Amino acid sequence: MDCREYISEYLAGHADGELAPLARRGADEHVSGCPICRAQLIEARALKAMVRQGAAIVKTPADLKSRIRGALDEADRRAAAPWTARLAELFAPFRAAASRVREPLIWAPAGLAAVIAIAILAAIAVPRRGLIATPPPVPEFELAISRFQQFQHDFVPNVPAEAYENQTGAVYAWVINRDPVHRVTDEADSDAFNDLARSYRSANLPDDLFDFAQAGYTITGGRVDQLPDGQPIAYTLYEGAAGEIVSLCFYDPTMAAPIGALNWLGLRSFYEYKGYSICLSFYPTGHFISILITRMPVTQLMRDVAFADPSGISR
Amino acid sequence: MLCSSFLHMARKSGTAADRRLAFEREALPHLDAVYSAALRLARNPDDANDLTQETILRAYRFFDQFSPGTNCRAWLLTILYNSFRNAWRRGEREQPASTSEEFAGEIEAQSRDADQSRINPEALLLSRTAGRRIELALNALPAEFREALIFVDVQELNYQEVAIVLDVPLGTVKSRVSRGRALMRKALCRLDQARGKTGT
Ligand SMILES: [Zn+2]
Repeated sequence: MDCREYISEYLAGHADGELAPLARRGADEHVSGCPICRAQLIEARALKAMVRQGAAIVKTPADLKSRIRGALDEADRRAAAPWTARLAELFAPFRAAASRVREPLIWAPAGLAAVIAIAILAAIAVPRRGLIATPPPVPEFELAISRFQQFQHDFVPNVPAEAYENQTGAVYAWVINRDPVHRVTDEADSDAFNDLARSYRSANLPDDLFDFAQAGYTITGGRVDQLPDGQPIAYTLYEGAAGEIVSLCFYDPTMAAPIGALNWLGLRSFYEYKGYSICLSFYPTGHFISILITRMPVTQLMRDVAFADPSGISR
Repeated sequence: MLCSSFLHMARKSGTAADRRLAFEREALPHLDAVYSAALRLARNPDDANDLTQETILRAYRFFDQFSPGTNCRAWLLTILYNSFRNAWRRGEREQPASTSEEFAGEIEAQSRDADQSRINPEALLLSRTAGRRIELALNALPAEFREALIFVDVQELNYQEVAIVLDVPLGTVKSRVSRGRALMRKALCRLDQARGKTGT
């Protein structure tokens, strides 16, 4: 090992105690015979200690501490309500709507067309910076962004979740045709409206769901709303420790894949769009599209999707 | 606030109090570490507060994903870094930020003028205003190097844990630490020089 090799390959790991035994022996040998590198090692350790002192761990402010305790208490309080009551709460408006035949199944979102129009205007109005041309806005993606932003703060499911039971209690999951858990259904009431997939199907939308459970996500819930043209749209919110994914699924016969896809996976294409990562999928039939949107890096979304593919449309 | 409570509420409904207790015992002792890292990443107290609270709540919601016996601080910092990256990755970086290469080049160019004889361990060790200088030098580093040094030197995670927190390969952690220290050293020498010139 010469000095150059020691400095570039071993010094940092040596100072941090991260070398494997063999490498460490080599590094020890080199510094014991080389005063220059020995000085470098001493300096690296001194620098390490200085950074630790200079950027030390500080105490959390008392008001933040109490804010966090309050938030944890609130989470506990909300969790304390029995899940059956929660489920019933979710059923209530849905059942009421279902009994009134068909159209009221769908909740109307606030002025969607306006939202898209404003977003497009805003995008056009922004002066273009530098030499890179701003790609034309994609209305479907603009919709996805505005919904993502809204749902991050306020997501109220309006269709019931699917309940399963496992050893630790009830768990809501969206695992279709998999059976390590026993599905909880109220048999007496088991009409067409007791789970998310059926809710989507009954709104004439595709009923397959991404199973992100293996990738560490759970489904927070689903919504069925109505687009300004009267077509239904399904929203599903997935949450994991790494972040959220919102899925949108709707009928869109005119959409073509925008240029600029970073990657393709069968009928899915992946984009980075205005700071978001997006997965766009075309259903092979029926002119339905699905958009997954997240703030996580697009590489992670690709990993998660490859892992989760629900329906084989990328196969 | 995401309306997800019915999920984890359902997961362990019978043991909510135990769960809270376990969380208080395992995770909350690391609150100061999380807050300090948030402060270093966000670099302003308001954002650090929000980031800390979001991290703790998210960790609580997904506490069943934590494997007991592993490093809880590293797990919390992974959540923190994800939240930070997801929230700050875009939007805030509207201005064309200089790349790490440009930044590193800039530091190197400036330090090239520095008197090379000043770069020695004694000069570093003898500094009496280390804290402030370290702070300045650390903040001047490109984010990727600053983050690596914060997690290794301040939070005392091992390279493997840092690789998970930052979601980069192990070799990348090593090279960022190595390069980060080299840049720190140059930045500190530059600060020394500036101080010499202004007589402070
Ligand atoms: Zn040497």
